[in-house]
Amino acid sequence: MSRPREDGGSELARDRLDRPARRVASQLAPTLLLLTGLLAGCGRPAADERIITYNCAASTSDIAALQLAAADFRARTGIELRLNPFSGEEKLYAMIAAGQAPDVFYTNGAVRDRLAAEGRLLDLRPYAEKDPLFARLRPEIRAAAASVDGGIYSLSNWTHTCGVYYDRAAFAAAGVPAPTADWTWDDFTAAARRLTTPAAPGARPARYGVYIPAHFIEALEQMNHAPIPRDALLLDLPPESREVYAAYLRLVHDGVMPDPRRVQAMGMQAAQLLQAGRVAMLVEAVPHPGLIETLTIDWGVAPLPCFGAKSPQYFRSASGGLSISADTRHPADAWRTLAWLIGEAAPYQPNPVLADADFAVAWEQKYPRLRGTGFREVWSLSEQHAGGDPRYFVRFASWSMAPVMTRLQPWLDRLWAGDATLDEVVAAVPGINAGVRADLARQARSTALRPAWKAALERALADAPH
Amino acid sequence: MKAEHRQGWLFVAPWALGFLLLTAGPMLYSLYLSGTSATLLSPPQWIGLENYRRMASDPLFYRSLGNTAAYAAMGVPAGLLLALGLALLLNAPVCGIGFFRTLFFLPSVTNTVALAVLWLWLLNPEFGLLNAGLRACGVEGPLWLQSETWAKPALVLMSLWTAGGQAVIFLAALQGVPRELTEAAAIDGAGPVRRFLAVTLPLISPALLFNLIMGLVGALQVFTQAFVLTGGVQPGSEGGPNQATLFIVLYIYKKAFQEFDLGYASALAWALFVIIVGCTALAWRLARERVHYEGGTP
Amino acid sequence: MSAPRAGPAAVARLGLTYVALVALGAIFSAPVVWMFSSSLHGLAGVFAQPFRWLPAPPHWENYVRAVTILPVPRFLLNTVIITAPVMAATLVSSALVAYGFARFRFPGRDALFALCLATMMLPGQVTMIPLYRLFAWLGWVDTYLPLIVPSLFGSPFYIFLLRQFFLTIPRDSEEAALIDGASRLRIWWSIVLPQARPAVATVLIFTFIGTWNDFFGPLLYLNSPEKATLTLGLNLMKTQVLGSGVVEWNILMAASLLVLLPNVILFFAAQRHFLRGLTMGVGK
Repeated sequence: MSRPREDGGSELARDRLDRPARRVASQLAPTLLLLTGLLAGCGRPAADERIITYNCAASTSDIAALQLAAADFRARTGIELRLNPFSGEEKLYAMIAAGQAPDVFYTNGAVRDRLAAEGRLLDLRPYAEKDPLFARLRPEIRAAAASVDGGIYSLSNWTHTCGVYYDRAAFAAAGVPAPTADWTWDDFTAAARRLTTPAAPGARPARYGVYIPAHFIEALEQMNHAPIPRDALLLDLPPESREVYAAYLRLVHDGVMPDPRRVQAMGMQAAQLLQAGRVAMLVEAVPHPGLIETLTIDWGVAPLPCFGAKSPQYFRSASGGLSISADTRHPADAWRTLAWLIGEAAPYQPNPVLADADFAVAWEQKYPRLRGTGFREVWSLSEQHAGGDPRYFVRFASWSMAPVMTRLQPWLDRLWAGDATLDEVVAAVPGINAGVRADLARQARSTALRPAWKAALERALADAPH
Repeated sequence: MKAEHRQGWLFVAPWALGFLLLTAGPMLYSLYLSGTSATLLSPPQWIGLENYRRMASDPLFYRSLGNTAAYAAMGVPAGLLLALGLALLLNAPVCGIGFFRTLFFLPSVTNTVALAVLWLWLLNPEFGLLNAGLRACGVEGPLWLQSETWAKPALVLMSLWTAGGQAVIFLAALQGVPRELTEAAAIDGAGPVRRFLAVTLPLISPALLFNLIMGLVGALQVFTQAFVLTGGVQPGSEGGPNQATLFIVLYIYKKAFQEFDLGYASALAWALFVIIVGCTALAWRLARERVHYEGGTP
Repeated sequence: MSAPRAGPAAVARLGLTYVALVALGAIFSAPVVWMFSSSLHGLAGVFAQPFRWLPAPPHWENYVRAVTILPVPRFLLNTVIITAPVMAATLVSSALVAYGFARFRFPGRDALFALCLATMMLPGQVTMIPLYRLFAWLGWVDTYLPLIVPSLFGSPFYIFLLRQFFLTIPRDSEEAALIDGASRLRIWWSIVLPQARPAVATVLIFTFIGTWNDFFGPLLYLNSPEKATLTLGLNLMKTQVLGSGVVEWNILMAASLLVLLPNVILFFAAQRHFLRGLTMGVGK
């Protein structure tokens, strides 16, 4: 990501740069203080100016690319995009609370629903219905856009799948054939076993067969055809899910996978396990720019293995997306900006949420080393057998995700630590759900919810199994 | 009005004005919110003491209180002792002491993001430097941040690294200890320990009180390290393994900004406020007799 | 510095002091050494296992990239514009208030002081939004005012710190000056502050570090990219739109070190004031 800085940097004024900072500090400080006060008064846009503010996390190169593209966008539409690249949960909520919400901003699914339920987001339906962009989106992206009341409060701006990255040299050395698209969990574990370098008694192996970060268990549950609900209120651990948890624990127990607690998912650490030869296979997101840019070993990527004869249902995750504030003064312009960002604007392209863009080909052009790795096959299989998004973020309704996860996660922590058995976790589910119910009943009493949302919550509570 | 009263008022007026303009309003507003079912963004609805009743039967409230108390009980005394020891060491009249003082202060000025990455790497159970060192000594190190038992000590260890800040305050206080006094004590035959306890410690006791109180206030509001280091990938995993590092302010943050439950978060914050005020008042009272002010009692 | 007195005991003590300084100094400087080492790695090297302390070859060009990826001079100027007035205002206002609390008897003083301390005891998470609304109502969002103006009213932390130090100063010379007819303000300026030099240096060091490295304040109140401070700039290096790029940790470490440098220089310069009384050997 090394775009020259001429474009983005030049906007940031270059005057005064040579003045020694020290002198400014000692002599100009009071004047500057005054000056900033004056500037505060005149920085406000007039009401008829078509300025759309966009709050997003962005790197310097993203900002540069966006600002360059925005100039063109303005020339065509007369809409001025004003970028606010400093984002954070607290900041966004403070801005909304103060009535100064940015026009366009990023929300994840849970936040989107909470904000929409309190009437803080613009319903995009009237705009989406008329705009060709909406028809260009993948069906799963369109489905993810719909909220409980039928409204559309955000559009995903990214999507990904996951796959098994593997070390080709390790496979060759161990005489294990490279994975194929139709491999099964048994093939996978057998390969993992053979790729694990046996250790001296009592020591850990020099190389583990595989590492699956714990947050990809959900993708395996889906491959095992666990019924993955959407917007569920309560927790359910069906037999298919339990099988996956048991299989996952068995990998650790058999010594072919490192204890997930020993491998912290920070930065590139998981990818470095593969790079350093500590694991032969790694389940990770596809595409994964960090991994693509840093791995120097000869690697390939394969789809997740199937469970027995069960048909593949690959992980497809639509990320959170772009929302528009209900307070925006220019809703039509804001929509146009949003549609432009997702469908055309520079750092977003090629955008995998668009059904008509050949994402795999475009990424192979962007990262030539992807060619021949299996990237294209994994991507296209995930399109053909899209199983949907099994993540806990999505499985639970926005109002029950925190109540469920706050209660479930400690059990999972104990499960990894060996302080609880899978049966004990399953036995804890009714207790967890009782607590969740109590939380939800209190939320349903809140006057902050708009009627449609309140009704939906009450209905769901009444229908939820006891 | 006596002149001294008027002058005193004038001197403290800047703070009093700032308090009235910037601090009092938000504080009182949050107190009001603690009696409402406010979400983050909607107008509050009065529910009286309901939030406080709910708190009384909230296991996570007690869990987070216990975690915070344990952290403070480990971190505050250890931090004070280390800082005092460092200050005494860094007060030694040797060549190049300025260089060494700067070295010890480095962790206190290092960018939080860089520090967090460093700590995750140091404490990594498999590849971390700490466990590599322990392994070299024939000990299998714990899982640190991933272990229910060791996550809190790991965070305490991390906080000790920034003891340089407190040490600077002690160092500043040590400059007020006249050398004649320690030398006189030495002539009287007092050993170094006795000289420290009888001469130096009373003279720096105001700084000790300051570091104690601020250490306590800081430890009871511990947030950033726990947020950065033990906030997991999964929703619900913030607060570390089996919620071992769910400190009260982290819980407040989670309630307010992740669950939009601002009314309850405000009630939690005010409960914490009462606890901190209580602890501080107790420490103040216990210390009052022992703190020596050279300029006379205030 | 005062030479060690002759004699084996003194020499042994000096040796022991150096051993302790070097050993502990190595531990405390480790983060910066690690950052330095990381800043010279290629991208993959930062997370390589095991970590190599001496990257071969060292990527010095990371530093060039660190200063060209961001408009550093602009961000530096912004940071100075905030830091300089905050340092001056915090010191003056906090020292005035601290003197008021330390030296005057007036009704309500102890209650006010307790209140001042108490404002530090309510977690900021619950007062943040009302305060933001206040500044938004004033039209100060996306200006430096919310970051600077509060420092005019003193900071409870420094008020408390300075009060503790003022109380250790004997009153004799102040009382003599009072009898000579000096005003309280003059006494504060020319008698009390000079005597509290180590404490004043501490306040300056801490306010500099606190403001220079502040992340949350600028994040909350600034919107325009060209108004960013250095710390916000660092953050721009590790966040991005979508999965479209990688975080260049090595560059981030190089930039972090450069941002750190003024802190180190200031501390090194200011620590000279931590010299004991007049009987002390001369400082360099």
